[in-house]
Order: sequence, then C-alpha cells, then structure tokens
Amino acid sequence: MHVEFLGVPRERAGVAELDVQADTLGRLLGTLAAQMPALAELIAVDRLHPSLVASLNGDRFISDPGTPLGDDDCVLILSADAGG
Amino acid sequence: MPFGYHGCYLRIDVSRGSVERVPLADAVLRQFIGGSGLGVRLLLDAGCAHLDPLDPEAPLVFAFSPLVGSPLTTSAKFAVVSKSPLTDRINDSLASSGFAIAGKSCGCDALVIVGRAHELSVLVIDDGLVRVEPAAECAGKTCQATEAELRSRLGASFRIAAIGPAGERLVRYATISHDGRHAGRGGSGAVLGAKNIKAIALRGTQRAEWAHPRELTAISKDLSKRSFGPATEKYRDLGTATNLLTFNRFGALPTRNFQSGTFDEAESLSPEQLSTTRAKTRDSCVACTIGCEHIYAVGDDGHVRVEYESLFALGSLCGIGDADVVLRASQRCDELGLDTISTGGTIAFAMECVERGWLDEPWLTFGSGAALLHAIELIGSRHGLGHLLADGSRRAAHAIGHDSIAIAPQVKGLEMPGYEPRALQTMALGFAVGARGADHNRSGAYEVDFSDKVDRRHVTLDAVRHAIDTEDRAALMDSLIICKFLRGVFDDFHAEAAAMLQSVTGWDVTAGELRETATRIVAAKRQFNLLAGWTPAEDTLPERFLNTPLPNDAAAHLSLERLDALVAEYHRQRGW
Repeated sequence: MHVEFLGVPRERAGVAELDVQADTLGRLLGTLAAQMPALAELIAVDRLHPSLVASLNGDRFISDPGTPLGDDDCVLILSADAGG
Repeated sequence: MPFGYHGCYLRIDVSRGSVERVPLADAVLRQFIGGSGLGVRLLLDAGCAHLDPLDPEAPLVFAFSPLVGSPLTTSAKFAVVSKSPLTDRINDSLASSGFAIAGKSCGCDALVIVGRAHELSVLVIDDGLVRVEPAAECAGKTCQATEAELRSRLGASFRIAAIGPAGERLVRYATISHDGRHAGRGGSGAVLGAKNIKAIALRGTQRAEWAHPRELTAISKDLSKRSFGPATEKYRDLGTATNLLTFNRFGALPTRNFQSGTFDEAESLSPEQLSTTRAKTRDSCVACTIGCEHIYAVGDDGHVRVEYESLFALGSLCGIGDADVVLRASQRCDELGLDTISTGGTIAFAMECVERGWLDEPWLTFGSGAALLHAIELIGSRHGLGHLLADGSRRAAHAIGHDSIAIAPQVKGLEMPGYEPRALQTMALGFAVGARGADHNRSGAYEVDFSDKVDRRHVTLDAVRHAIDTEDRAALMDSLIICKFLRGVFDDFHAEAAAMLQSVTGWDVTAGELRETATRIVAAKRQFNLLAGWTPAEDTLPERFLNTPLPNDAAAHLSLERLDALVAEYHRQRGW
C-alpha cells in the first residue's frame, strides 16, 4: 500500500511518499514509527497524535487502528488543523 | 467596574473633533466580553443598521478586550466592527498588533468613530485625549509609508493604524493596517476612508487591573508552554501556506475562479518550494509565542508575509503559478491596503467573464501575471476597469449581466476564501449561513470536513451541530480575544477560557456561561443583519456550486435541495 505525507508529517518523515506493507492502520503507524524517529514522536503505539489525521484514499478520515487496509489503498497523513 | 476593563468607550466625532466618554454597564461587558461581541453590541445600541456604511454617521468600532495587555499568549488583538460596504451586513475583522495594547492603554474598552473630517486627517488619541490633525501629506501613500510618516511626525511611542490608497478611494474591500497586519475583510478601510481619516495614532499609560494576577500568570505560563507543542507546529514550521498542497491533494483548492479543485502548478506556490528558492524569515505578532509569520523576499529588497489565503486567491484562483508574481501581488495588496481574498476573487471572476465573452477586456486572462498586477493597480486607483472591480464581484456581476452572478465567488457579497465548498460540504454550510458572508474565520466548519465526523462530499444533517459548534467557538475566541491558531492546544477550550476570564475579571464565569455567551454573540450579529435587511434567501451559495459536480471529482456534488436542508436545519437548531 501507499502512504503520502503532507505538511508537517512530510517535514518529519523527510519524504513525500513511500510504499509500506501493512494490513491495518495500526500496523501501518507502527511501521512508520519504527522507520521514522521524527514522525514517531507523533505516533502513540498505533494511533496518531491529535495534531495529525489520516485519510483513506482521500475519501474518508480514519482513526481506528483496526481499520483494514488493502494493497491498492493510499493513506494520506496530514495536520489536523487543515485550515487557518 | 469589573477588573480587566476600563468600563467605558470613547465616542469620537471626527467632524467636530469631539470625544465623549460613555460608560459601559458591567452586564453588557459580561454578556458580550469584548472584541467582536462588544463591537456588535455597540453597533446595535447605536441603531445604525439602516445606514449606508459609507455614510459619515455610520459608526466604525475598534473594540479591545479584557485579555488585551495580559501575559496570555496571542491576546494582543483588536476587532474592527461596522456595517460592511461590501456586503451591507455586519462586518468584524480582527488584527493582531501593538495597536490593541496601545488602544486599551488609552483608558477605554472601545472606540466608536463617527462623522467626517473636513480634510484628510489623522485621528490622534493621546492617553484618552483626542484631536484631529490634517494629514494631507499622506494622501495617496501606502499603509506602510503612512505609518512611517506619522510616526516620524508624532513620535515613536505612537501606534498607528492606517489605510492605503484603496481606503481613500473607498474600495469596498480596503483594509486597515498596522505594523504589517491587516483588519482585512469586509472593507473597514473604506469606512475609515469615508470619514476622511487616513490613520489613527494611539498611545496611552492607563492599565486595567487584573483580579487574580498570580493565577493569571500561572495560566499564561502553562498556555505559552503548550503553544510550543505539536498542535501549533504547522503554523510555526510552514505557516498556513502549507494548506496549499493539502487542499490540492483533496481536490479542494479553488482554481480558475472555482472552475476546478486542483491546480497543476500548486507545487510552485507551496512553502516547501518557496523556501528553497528565496530567503525567508519568521516572525510573530506582539505577545504571541506561536510565530506563524513566514516572510519571504520579493524582488531586490522587498518582503511579504505569506498566507495560504493570499497564495490561493492571487495564485490558483487566477490560474497563476509564478511565485514571483503571486508574492509581488500579495505585497502590492498590502501596500495599497486591499484584502487579498476579495482582490483575487474579484479579479478571477472578471477573468472568467472575459473568457466567456461577457467582458471586453481581452488582456485580463487566467494565468497572466502581468494582467493580475495591472488589475490590482487599477483597483487601488479605481481607474478604468478597476472602478468596477473595486466594488467587489457581486456588484460587478450585476453591472456585467449575462447571469454572471451565478459564477461570482461570493456569499452576501463577501468573496469566498480558499475552500472549495463542493469538496468540503460542512464548510459549504458555514459559508452559506455566515453573518458576514463566506468566511473561514467566523466558521471553522472545514475542520469537521477534515475529520471522521462526516463524509465531506456527502454531508448529512448530522454535520449541522458540528458547524454550529465551530461558529460559536469562533465567536467566543473573537470576543475574548485569543488567536484561533491556539485551538488545537486546548483540552477543554470553554473551561480553560473561563479560567482565563476569571483570573482577569474576577467573574465567577463558567464554561456553560461562555457557551451561552457565544450563542448570544452569534445571535446579535444576526439581529444586526435583520435590521439591515437580511432575508433567508441570502443564506445560500452561488449557483455554480449547486447541482453541478466538481470537474474531475464526480463525488463532489452538492444539490440545492441538500444545501437548503442543511441551512433549514441550521436555522432550526439556532432557534431562528
């Protein structure tokens, strides 16, 4: 599956996007935390810090760590304060 | 008189140079707090809703707040409240600067300015003493040059808010500027210009006492500490401009007068890209620990503070991806004293009218940086086409005809900020019902769209209560006043706001009372609009956004029936 980072998460991740093997949101976040120390500060085990949110394919926002992910899915990680 | 206040406002008639110190009842202060809330209440008391906003007798209110001058981070803000010459409805625009602290130090909680000076003048308020001085030498000068000129004349201890050439020429979306910050939306600069007042210069020594200074200090330290955390990292590290790529990814970046939700050249305008190609510095407002200002170099020796709204309005909305042009356009708006959102919105509208053959100005095309910069100059001077565009997209549409009002990007006459309503439909509701028109600062409903509370492209009636919550919270923050960029910092905003207000005023105010206060302030704005002639038909969106899906995103479809149902439910839940 594919991950895209926007804004602060992109700054912290150091990349705009990458491919990851994960079948749930919780496992995806765990993998990202292990690979990206700066981003790990905003991941508590299998959940994002309240300042960040995740969107599945740009269609709906997800927070339940058990949310299933497919190989063709794209998870967008961005700041929760999207406006300003 | 409660702590935190002076218990009065100054009613200043610039026709005569007279001032009256008018007491403010404790109950009024507690019910409306300050800022936007107090300003609206003072306008209602003045019985002026029927007046032309550019009539000399139409009041212009500068409202301070109990928190101004306190150590609470982001509290150095003031509200400018009047009837808008752009919308003919209520307008409250806020700015952050030392002008707020200086104004309150003049020994008052608000200024209510009426009349018209005999010649272009500066209103000087020196520790509560008022005089009106000629300012002919400032005629035609930019906001920044006027501040510098008057500071040189009056002394560095004065804080000076000024209008630019646009305000003098009554451009209906002219701003009032101080220290590079603008009370930007709705045309308060034109209201000041109609009074022949080029600037207001303030200084004072009078300090309002705090009820519980020790508690206030502790709250302030804790809030400042939290303001350095992840909740404000976005503003600190990238600024609001980072919205550009996010909105583009979600198909919500208004492009070419809302003809699209994506812009091919968005990357070139993003802060991530801008910071690799030009010098950048960071700054913060007075008494702010967030530091959201990202200031970029322009040309050889210029600079401009970059915000998302300016990038979208002068960039993607006009189809322009040349960062040099967009930054220069933003800088020029700051100099002339023009609201960047309404400037970009009105020009983009005119570009589409040209494209459709409704306006015979062939030079004004999407993507032309030269056309954008030229149009801004015409608007600021009201020359040629600029005279039409200086009145905003709604009035321009009525003059152009061809049912162009259907594509004028405005609600109640106020040009829409950078949120595509078909892709963000809770925000669509927020735009439709906004008392001052389409606005992202009086409704934070976009936050709901960027959450798991709703399906942003198919919102249901469940979204309404969330939209109301963000509108109420904004009304409270704009009346306390504290910056909305702190909103993610609070665990329980109303409880924490009550503690702040208790420590300053000594009132036994609770979270529940503040919720009622917020509702009261929103209702007061509506009351003003009712008196000004509001009708239910105004709570809607332009035809472009209804019944036609967003190109390249068929799911982003908002029917008139669904919007009407959302608006009706909003009115029902408000009890209106």
